[in-house]
This record gives sequence, structure tokens and C-alpha cells, in this order.
Amino acid sequence: MYYLGIDIGSLSCDAVLINGGSTIVASAVVPTGARNREAIARATDEVLRIAGIARADVAAVVSTGYGRDRVEERLSSVTEITCHARGITALLPGTQLLIDIGGQDSKAILLGKEGNVIDFAMNDKCAAGTGRFLEAMARALQVDIDDMADMDIGAEGKQSISSMCTVFAESEVVSLIADGAPVNEIVMGLNRAIAARILSLVKRTTLQYPDMKVAMSGGVARNAGVVRAISFLMDREVSVPKKPDTVGALGAAMIAKEKNASRRPVVSA
Amino acid sequence: MMKEYFTDLEEGIQGAIRGGNSSPKKFYTLELARLGRRLYSGTDAIAWCGITAPFDLLNAMGVTSCFVEFIGAMLASTGVVGSFIEETDHTGYSSDACSYHRSVSGAAIKGMMPVPEFLIGTTNPCSGGLAVLENLACRFGKELFVLHIPQNDSAGNVRFLADQMREMVAFVSRITGRKLDNDLLRKTVENSNRACGIMREIFALARHVPSPAASRDLSNFGIVMALFLGGEQAVAIAGAYRDEFRRRIDAGDYGKSGGKFRLLWIQNRIQFRHGLEKMLEEEYGTSIIVDELNDITWDDIDPENPYDGFARRSISIPFNGTMARRVEHLKKLAREYRIDGAVNPCNWGCRQGTGARGLIENGLKEIGVPVLNLEVDCVDSRKFTEGQFRTRLEAFMEMLATRPPLWR
Repeated sequence: MYYLGIDIGSLSCDAVLINGGSTIVASAVVPTGARNREAIARATDEVLRIAGIARADVAAVVSTGYGRDRVEERLSSVTEITCHARGITALLPGTQLLIDIGGQDSKAILLGKEGNVIDFAMNDKCAAGTGRFLEAMARALQVDIDDMADMDIGAEGKQSISSMCTVFAESEVVSLIADGAPVNEIVMGLNRAIAARILSLVKRTTLQYPDMKVAMSGGVARNAGVVRAISFLMDREVSVPKKPDTVGALGAAMIAKEKNASRRPVVSA
Repeated sequence: MMKEYFTDLEEGIQGAIRGGNSSPKKFYTLELARLGRRLYSGTDAIAWCGITAPFDLLNAMGVTSCFVEFIGAMLASTGVVGSFIEETDHTGYSSDACSYHRSVSGAAIKGMMPVPEFLIGTTNPCSGGLAVLENLACRFGKELFVLHIPQNDSAGNVRFLADQMREMVAFVSRITGRKLDNDLLRKTVENSNRACGIMREIFALARHVPSPAASRDLSNFGIVMALFLGGEQAVAIAGAYRDEFRRRIDAGDYGKSGGKFRLLWIQNRIQFRHGLEKMLEEEYGTSIIVDELNDITWDDIDPENPYDGFARRSISIPFNGTMARRVEHLKKLAREYRIDGAVNPCNWGCRQGTGARGLIENGLKEIGVPVLNLEVDCVDSRKFTEGQFRTRLEAFMEMLATRPPLWR
């Protein structure tokens, strides 16, 4: 039997399929777009295709992410905070502090030994410093967002971005370009602005972070420059799993397996 | 418009009660409707006040008095607050300021606040509220009397505030032409003490495990009941709640939540309609069983010498004084009610809410109670995205489910 986790976020819909031994069999990331039910279907079809199994082979589905209640076939829905915690513990055991930056929110999650959430803090009021923010900045810089990951290399950290309001930061970036500021310095300034914002969430959650094993998940973790900036400000190594954007879906798949087991009657031999 | 609204509300609730559909909440809401009708009647002597004004003393002087934030909450609950807030913003108020006060100012600008005979400001709990009262005093051309509330309960401070309250009585007499009847004052104080005694019983019953209190039962209760103190109606409302809570405990009727988790709500509730409390009860078996301001923090007032008691009461409000005192009060509530978790909405623009949140969080964590900090504008529904708050509350519930029980 297989277990499916679906994480439907504002930017991407991620699906992870695991088998009865909790091994990842397939994963997929598709853009969410305007119609999230279509994205759910596409991500589901993709993991089934990769695994070479039929829908009937999936014993249980758990959904997470902001669109979690849109997954009609779910056994239950669980928040992304819990799912990312479970997912990262499976991928990077011993993680004590998880930083998750997705399309429209960012979180610092303090973890127990079993991947349980001890405490968490999320961004308030606005989505500055998240995936949407990076998208807007890439647009202002007229570069591909994936190319931004290494554009800070060689910068000395001379340029700070003073505003974290996405609209104001975008015009600030445009002004800096017009003033001839080096692009790598601008990108490093943006990365450090994001890192400073996440550091305040970390500090709200725990002040013990300098002694903790820290990991990062979510789509923004694919941006090595942001990870470097967070690592720099925290003065800690920040570990990133191979597919950071599927961590939440993995956690959901693992919860699906657990919940499926608990709903079945125990039959003694 | 407001007079008709409150009249319709009053008649609707009375009809429901006559039809056998009564509950403590209905009696409480009926009294709110009556207060609203009197405020907008055009015939009653009314006074706009700060939250910690001695409303029973004003009631004894025949003045229909109300704290201005009541109007903000009422406009929010009826879903029409946006246009009033915009009106205030047009005058240059910062949109980051407290929406209770912005909505009140907007209501005054749009002619929705009845002209009072006078205003009573209080320096506790916030300077923003006092500023609104000063604005209203200028707008209406009416006199404002300010009660300067000391921060500590010392003999000198009590005397200082009691003397101000005597001056306030003289001020009210000068404006209304009515003298304070000492027999009526004595009766008023006795009624206040009776109501507060019953409220202590209600709160003791709410501490029962499981709690008979559903999330909405005592929403805004403590702060609003202060408006009714001194009258028989406060005694009747409190008695109805006490009897209902006793009945629920005797019948094992603990509502939809079943009491899996017990929450403490810090500061004020979200005043407009939303689905979060229902979600907590129905999906997570969780009830908000106590609010920060649902507590009687003062002793009975001596009917023969009420001013010292009035003064001690105003000084005792947990929002008065240092944050350390407020945190100790929250810890006391958490222990008494065996709270699993606390929610702090940190109302936008409120220094009490946002300024204290780190201290409150750390204080409650010291005794093992986790705190969920939200950033909610509790009045302006236009800033509310329910999905964001659902996620935070749901994650908090999921977290509580993995923790060992704190009190058992």
C-alpha cells in the first residue's frame, strides 16, 4: 500500500508518495496557478505515473498547505507547520530548529525528538520575505528567479535593503540599479533582509538556536543565497534536504500512513 | 438608525424570551440592547467614558454612561465598521492606530455618536482612549473630567483617587443639576457587591473540569458587566449565568467541545463575526473558558464609605500598572483554570497588546503554558484573512495534542 501527501501552497502544489516502509517512491512539484484543484490532480497524476501505480493502490491521502481543504479525497488535513516538522525529521533526523519559507509565509519551528512541534512563530500581517517577495525582486532585477540563487557570490554585503514592504523594496531595488549599485550587492542585500526577518521569528521561538541543529525547508530553501544569508546571520550551519519544497508533502504522507493504521481495526492472528 | 437598531434588537430578544427561547446570553444581550437604546434615545442624560470609570456611581446619579470602545465593538459586530474607520483616516489618523478608537472617532464625525452631557476620561488602561475622549469633548463642545488612576494600591493612592471621584460627583452634579442621593448610592453599592459576588461564583464554576463555559458564553463579559453594575439587572444576568453553569455541571452538559483543551484568551475578543471559535470547539474539542478581563480583582465595596472601594477597584484592574503585575494575573488565571494554552490576539495599534506580548509569552511559558501570538485587528474585519488565522490556531491545537497534559 502507498500513502500520499499533498502540500498545496500559494506558488506550488507538491505531492509525495511513500510506501509501507515509509520510503519515498515518487515526488512532484507543479505550479499551483489559479485553479488549485487542477494542480492537485496534476501533482497526483505525476507521482502515480512515476511510481507506476494506480490510484486504488493509495491507501490514504493527507493534505496540507493553505489549500489543504480543497483536496477532496483526503483522510484528513493537517497544517503545514506539523507536516514540515514531521518531514524534516524523517529526512534530517535530529533537527531541532526548522526554518520554512514558502510562497506566502515563513516560519520558525522548534522541534522535539520525534518531530513534534514544541513551539512555532509565523510571519505576521504581510508576506514580505517569502517566495512572493523573491519573485517580485527577480522581476525588478529582470533576472530569472532560479538565477538569483548564486548572484550574491562575490558581494561584500555593502548594500542593505531598508524596506521589507514588497512594493517599496521593489522600487528601492529599481532605484539602486539606476544608481549603478552592483547586482550581486543588491541580491545579497535582499537575501540578508529576508534572513533578518526570519531571524526575528527564530528568536521569538528560541534563544538557544546557536546550539541547535538547524535545517531549512520550503521552496525558498532552493535559493542557496538566502540559505547562506540565514546561515551568516545565525552563525550556524543550515542544512537543506535535496528537495526542500517537498518536505511538507512528505510529512503529510507519513501522517497519512499513521492515520490509516489507527483507523483500521486490530485483528489478532 | 442606531436607535431603531437597538430597539429592534431589544424587541427581538424580548420576543424570543417570551417564546421560551431564553438563555443567560440572551438576558445579557437584552441588557446591551437596552443600554444602546438609552444611549441613542435622545432623552437620557448620557456620558462617554473611559473603560475604568465608576459606572455604578454614574448610574446612581441617573446618567447613562458607557465606555467609547463599546461603540467600536458594536459597529464591528454589525459589520458596518469600515466606513467609520475610513472617515477617521480621512482626518489624518494613522491607519496603524487602534481600530476601536478610529471607529468611534468616525462614528462621531458621521453623527452616529449621540452628544453627551459630559465625558469622563480615565488614564487607565490607555492613552489612546483618553485622546479619543479629548477629541470627542472638543467636537461636542462638552466638558471632560479626567480621573488620574494611580498604578499601585497604597493608602495615599487610594485617597488620591477617591478624592477625585468625589470631585467627579460634584462635576456631574454641576452639569446635570442632580445631587447624589446617599441612600440610592448605598443601594447601588450593595447591588454592585451582589453582582460581583455572583460573578465570582460564575468564574469558580467555569473552572470546573470539564468547564461548563462555551467559547462565546463569557465573551466580553467582565468588561461589559461593569456598565450594568449597581442595578438589579446586573444581579439578574449574573444569576442566570450562575444557574445555567450549575445546571450544565449537574447534567454533565459540556457543549460541543467536550473540553479537550482549555484556552485562556488574552485582552479582548475579535469583535466581528468569524468562524474561529466554532472551529476550535467543533474540530478540536477546545473552548475558550476564561478571558483576561473576566475576573473580580477587588474586594466588596463598603456601602458606608464607597469611594475608597471604588478607587481600589479602578486601581486593581490588571491592565493598570506594570506589565509584571499583568503577567502575574495571567499566570494566576492559567493556574486557577488549569489552562492548556493561551491565545494573545495583540490587537493592532494597542500598546497593551503588542508591547507586552513577549513578557506575557515568557511569563506563561514559565509555568508551562504555551502562548499563540496573533496579530489581529479585533475591530476592522477588512484586515482579517480567516485562513491565515485558522492555520495558526490549527497548528497550535496540533501542538497541544502532542504535549503531555499540564495539570493532570
